[in-house]
Amino acid sequence: MSLTAALPHDLETLADSLSASADELHERIMRGIRQQQRLQGGNGKAPAPLTHGAAQALFENEVALRQQANSLYVDAASHSLEGMGVALPELLRLAAEAREAIRRIDRVKELAGISADLLAVAAAIVAARPEHLAAPLAGLKKQLAARHARESA
Amino acid sequence: MKRYLCILLCLLLAACASNPRLQEVRVLADDAPKLAGFNDLSQRFRDTYQREQPYLSAAAAQREEAIDRKRHDAYPDFLDLYSAATTYLRALGALAAGDTFNYGDQVKHMSESIKAWPDTGLTDRHVNAYSSLVRLLLRFATAREQDKAVQAMLREGYEPLQGTLDAMATLVRYFNKNHDNEQRIVLGMLEVEIPYADTPRDRLLAALARSLQQEKLREYRLLGLRHTLAAQNIDALRERHAALYRGLDPQPAAGAASSAPPATPSAFTQGALP
Repeated sequence: MSLTAALPHDLETLADSLSASADELHERIMRGIRQQQRLQGGNGKAPAPLTHGAAQALFENEVALRQQANSLYVDAASHSLEGMGVALPELLRLAAEAREAIRRIDRVKELAGISADLLAVAAAIVAARPEHLAAPLAGLKKQLAARHARESA
Repeated sequence: MKRYLCILLCLLLAACASNPRLQEVRVLADDAPKLAGFNDLSQRFRDTYQREQPYLSAAAAQREEAIDRKRHDAYPDFLDLYSAATTYLRALGALAAGDTFNYGDQVKHMSESIKAWPDTGLTDRHVNAYSSLVRLLLRFATAREQDKAVQAMLREGYEPLQGTLDAMATLVRYFNKNHDNEQRIVLGMLEVEIPYADTPRDRLLAALARSLQQEKLREYRLLGLRHTLAAQNIDALRERHAALYRGLDPQPAAGAASSAPPATPSAFTQGALP
């Protein structure tokens, strides 16, 4: 993981990407909730309904993603992360992939896993702790790769 | 006597043709209060946690506390930007309005000293004409000085003010994005929870929640508009300041550099932040 200077603009771009992932996760949660409601109504077999607990847990991840994004916006505003950076293009690519996966994932467990990994990556960046970045980054890559393998199979 | 009257008339005309630049500068300075929107939104940004708190889980509230500290730490810098911009604009306005160029007392003093000369054969009428001539001369002279001072201030203040306004515009963009996430946290929590409050026992709860949801939707929509308006006001001010700068007299000594102001004023201040 190469460390380059993080300009305010880079921080903003990364924060935008996290916010967009949170948006995607929210869409997905609401879809699951609507399916759950239909299920209770007794018509149709929805693929991934959400129990109240699961919805709350996923929303917690959404909130955390938004908080990391907001944290990056303050950093961009106060320039306090000057000199601390990450390989932005790779992160943005991974985040976009994760976002796409969140959109299409059916299984709630997988959804929770990917959003949690993305969150951990974001948290390491926001906390300016590159040493905490490697593990969740590897986890995220693995999950995305596994999905690719399943999809192409 | 006729010749004197002619000169007097010429001077009168010259003095009355007020400088359009000074007029424009005064109008620009009068718009400084429009930056107050930035101030309000900075405060709102600083107090994000306070509004979010009721909707956050314990873990989220703990995370938010760290961000809250960062927002509070950054806030004084936002204030500094705001007061730097408004102070400059107020000073420019005062200069253009002639507040600092009041020669009235000196003119009065001169006319009094004329009166004090005995046996010069001057009547009161003459003294009055002379003193108004002096006043006009002074006004003309000071008007030229005043314009020069305003031009110097515009020239020297160009980059700092453009940079400051640029930073303010960037900050408003961040404030707005922060606001979007706050909105989605608050409204999102309600949106996720309301469907589960669907038993007969929860009817009152659901009704209260939906009513709060409507209220919050209105609040956030209004605030979204205020962010847009603040950004527009900053942009408009920056544009007009740049236009005034472009209209400055070419500087005789400095030559090419100052007579050709940069085409895109924000180009060299891009990324400039507090």
